[in-house]
Amino acid sequence: MLTLALAGLRARGSRTLLSALGILAASLVVGTGVTVGYGLATGFERSADGAGLPDVIARFDPERRTTVDERVRALPNLAAASYRYEVLNAPLTANGHHNHRGAVNTIGEGRRGYEILEGRDLAASRAGEAVVEQGLAKEWDLHPGDRIRIGRELGELTIAGISNAPDNVAFPLATTARVYISDATVRERLGFTPDDANVALLWLRDPAKADVTLTQARAVSFGLGKLEFVTREGVRVLLSQAAGIVISLLVAFSLVALVAAGTMLAAGAHADVQRRLSAFGVQRALGFSPGRIAALQATEAVLVAAPAALAGLAIGTLAVAGPSGELLAALNERPPGGALALPLGLALVAVLAIVVAAATWPAWRAARRPPAEILRGGDVRPRTGKEARGGLLGLGARFSTAARGRFIASVATIAVCAGVVVLMLALASLLERLRDDPGTVGKRYQLTVRAPEWMLGAIRDVPGVDAAGERYATEAADSFRLGESLKLVAYPGDHTAFEAPPLAEGRRVRAPDEVEVGLGLADALGLRLGSTLAAQLRSGAEVRFRVVGIVRALESSGRIGWVQPQRLLEGDPDLAPGIVVRLDAGADRAQVTRDLIEVGAPPKSASAATTRSGQFLAVLASVLRGVGLAVGLVCLYALVQALTMTARERRGAVALLRACGGDARAVATVLAGAAAAVALPAAVAGIVLEWAVFGPLVARLAAGFASLPLAPAPGHVAIVLGGLLALAAGAIALVARRVLREPVVAGLREE
Amino acid sequence: MAVVRARGLVKTFGEGRVARRVLDGADLDVEAGEVVAVLGRSGSGKSTLLHLLGGLDRPQAGSIELAGVDVARASERALSALRRRHVGFVFQFFHLLPELSGEANVLLAGRMRGAAPDAPVRGSELIDRLGLRQVAASLPHQLSGGEQQRFAIARALVNDPSLLLADEPTGNLDAEAGTEVLRLLRAGADEGRAVVMVTHEAAATAMADRVLRLGDGKLEPC
Repeated sequence: MLTLALAGLRARGSRTLLSALGILAASLVVGTGVTVGYGLATGFERSADGAGLPDVIARFDPERRTTVDERVRALPNLAAASYRYEVLNAPLTANGHHNHRGAVNTIGEGRRGYEILEGRDLAASRAGEAVVEQGLAKEWDLHPGDRIRIGRELGELTIAGISNAPDNVAFPLATTARVYISDATVRERLGFTPDDANVALLWLRDPAKADVTLTQARAVSFGLGKLEFVTREGVRVLLSQAAGIVISLLVAFSLVALVAAGTMLAAGAHADVQRRLSAFGVQRALGFSPGRIAALQATEAVLVAAPAALAGLAIGTLAVAGPSGELLAALNERPPGGALALPLGLALVAVLAIVVAAATWPAWRAARRPPAEILRGGDVRPRTGKEARGGLLGLGARFSTAARGRFIASVATIAVCAGVVVLMLALASLLERLRDDPGTVGKRYQLTVRAPEWMLGAIRDVPGVDAAGERYATEAADSFRLGESLKLVAYPGDHTAFEAPPLAEGRRVRAPDEVEVGLGLADALGLRLGSTLAAQLRSGAEVRFRVVGIVRALESSGRIGWVQPQRLLEGDPDLAPGIVVRLDAGADRAQVTRDLIEVGAPPKSASAATTRSGQFLAVLASVLRGVGLAVGLVCLYALVQALTMTARERRGAVALLRACGGDARAVATVLAGAAAAVALPAAVAGIVLEWAVFGPLVARLAAGFASLPLAPAPGHVAIVLGGLLALAAGAIALVARRVLREPVVAGLREE
Repeated sequence: MAVVRARGLVKTFGEGRVARRVLDGADLDVEAGEVVAVLGRSGSGKSTLLHLLGGLDRPQAGSIELAGVDVARASERALSALRRRHVGFVFQFFHLLPELSGEANVLLAGRMRGAAPDAPVRGSELIDRLGLRQVAASLPHQLSGGEQQRFAIARALVNDPSLLLADEPTGNLDAEAGTEVLRLLRAGADEGRAVVMVTHEAAATAMADRVLRLGDGKLEPC
């Protein structure tokens, strides 16, 4: 069987190679999708397990460790606890870099909640050492043995190790850079033994009962000021938002690519079987059973698909491993490493299964027919119906559409690929815009103006201004637990015009007594839909709101609420609004800024976090572009395959054209017609697909970040059309060259 | 004057021990207005000879001169031009493109870049002359074998070639249709063309001016 299969493959060398290339291209795309998708989907759990991330992190005003420990030990579900003293805004200097946003954690005994990636951990007995987070180490090129200066008092310390703790994203995506020191260092440098703590890390026996433990913790927390809890689930939600688009997109994309590749493979295998019906007929006449013929096909399919799929998956994985690793590092998550072998193995099995099924099923069906019928059914006959018009181009188009099944499969594959490429381009440029204007993340306004209310009309009249409105923002505290601080943001009317964090539960605010709260606030205060949020304003007045929605908000760690301003103004009449300005899509921001200055309302950029998000967004954009390139390769393959199959099936017709005096140009014109018949409808369908399905779908999935303008822009359409044109030209050149190398008489003999 | 002149043609298929020399020093001159019938056993190289004369294939040795062009050494581009303007092919199985009507098949050769400027007019006239107007819009599968071969002859003549090559043109037709096809080929020669026809049919040899037999790679008069 194996010998026979190998002989068959060798005899059809060029077709075998083409099939292998197709499987390789499809597997390459699957490999990229699996690598990025699996890495991101499982990155948090992997890192959290590796780092031993606590189930609950509590922050509070400094308190003696013994007091805190007393309260914590009273919790029944507790497995372990450890305490830190965290100092924020510490000046850090190392390797020529300087930062004033260091978070220096003095850690005592017990579990760490981080893992050491390089070097070693702090030793209780050794002073003068620090462990730095991997984001800072990478950004400042720090390694174990290097020196880092922490303020004046602590002075220079030796870096003992590089750590990773997935309870926050990494520096510089996070504004603070974390550094850990031991009690021994404090003793040596500052001359006292630290016995205060403001952070408690709690590990639970049953993490599923974290809610119950939190309630109990609040009950025993009397005396702890500004107590905030973050659960492991809360951390996961916050971090996964940053990669949510990419995960959803790539997982969906991988499935689409797999289905598209499967369709192409199925169509190709079907056409192959049709062409080889005579051979099956002869085999049946010689005594081969249908099962043996099918088994032979399956063996051939495995022999072609296994190395091609393996190579494709490996190339795809290697191509995106770098950007994917950077992406994960920015999120403080670990790359999957060897764990990726399982999903890649499953992907390999899936690709092989599709290829084998696509090759075997039609052969088995065909071989079950009586041998005489199979022999009569011989080669593919071109469909005949209406006459082909449009000269040689029209003739080529007719050649292409003659094999209806393969034509539809080719158009569908290229359309899906074109749609995905448009989507990738739209997303990549959106991410770049976010890099330049990260204020758009979660917000829909780009500028803020400090101006009196009466200027709103003039601001709205400035060309390029889409909308302008008042925005009130104030700090408040929970009336029942005054230590719980929160931020209240208010807009007159519908706030989603300017800020639209995605709803996790419930609905938007419609009345002055309603509030949408962030998940972080709901988590901290145990708020649910229908609960009452009682907040004490700075003025001392209390305002109450009914919770109607819970939203996924990144701002202020989710400890934020959106309301209408009436009650805030009743409680704090001095509260003054700012004006927020939303620009028209494509508006010239510089020009709008000049115009606003001219009307007496100088604006400020809403993006205060440009630099810290820039690198992360750039990595995301490069991942998307890498995947887009892989999809482009699938497009090229689909076009080359469609043209090659057409040229092969209509070999006699092409030879006849050449016998009648048709030169290279005539052959290229026919092939151009064939390519156009596939590429033009596919391009239109792809753009429509992106506009009607992919764009809205992804925008909905990723609405947590911003209002995503993912409709195909003219530039993206032009790039895709130009790309398809170039791919088609390349495919035509490749196939024409091959056709013209063949002697005319060879084609005529076949006809 | 000879329209086509071939000298010492050699053509071998395969290599090494399986090599088979089908033409081994074949010579041929065909004058304008002359019909030459070539006979021979299956596999003797008759079709190969036609392919070489028409510039569809190249000999390993020897020369072919057609319309002042050395066919054996001409570039692919020159061969395409030669086939377009100076050679017409008629095949046993017609080789009409199934997507095109009979008329469109005839005009196909006239649509090529560099085709005779009057090809469309000539094509239309040929369709009328060959009695095909009634079925000109029909697709090949709607036509009889005789009609298909007449369309194929019209296609071969549309660029007014000086050499008409017919490979068993009646081999797939009944007697009546075959006679009509032979009449048309004769008429083609009478208009001043050189016609080379490979055949097994006695009727075809009867209308030829000369009958040659291809054996052992050489052409000999019968």
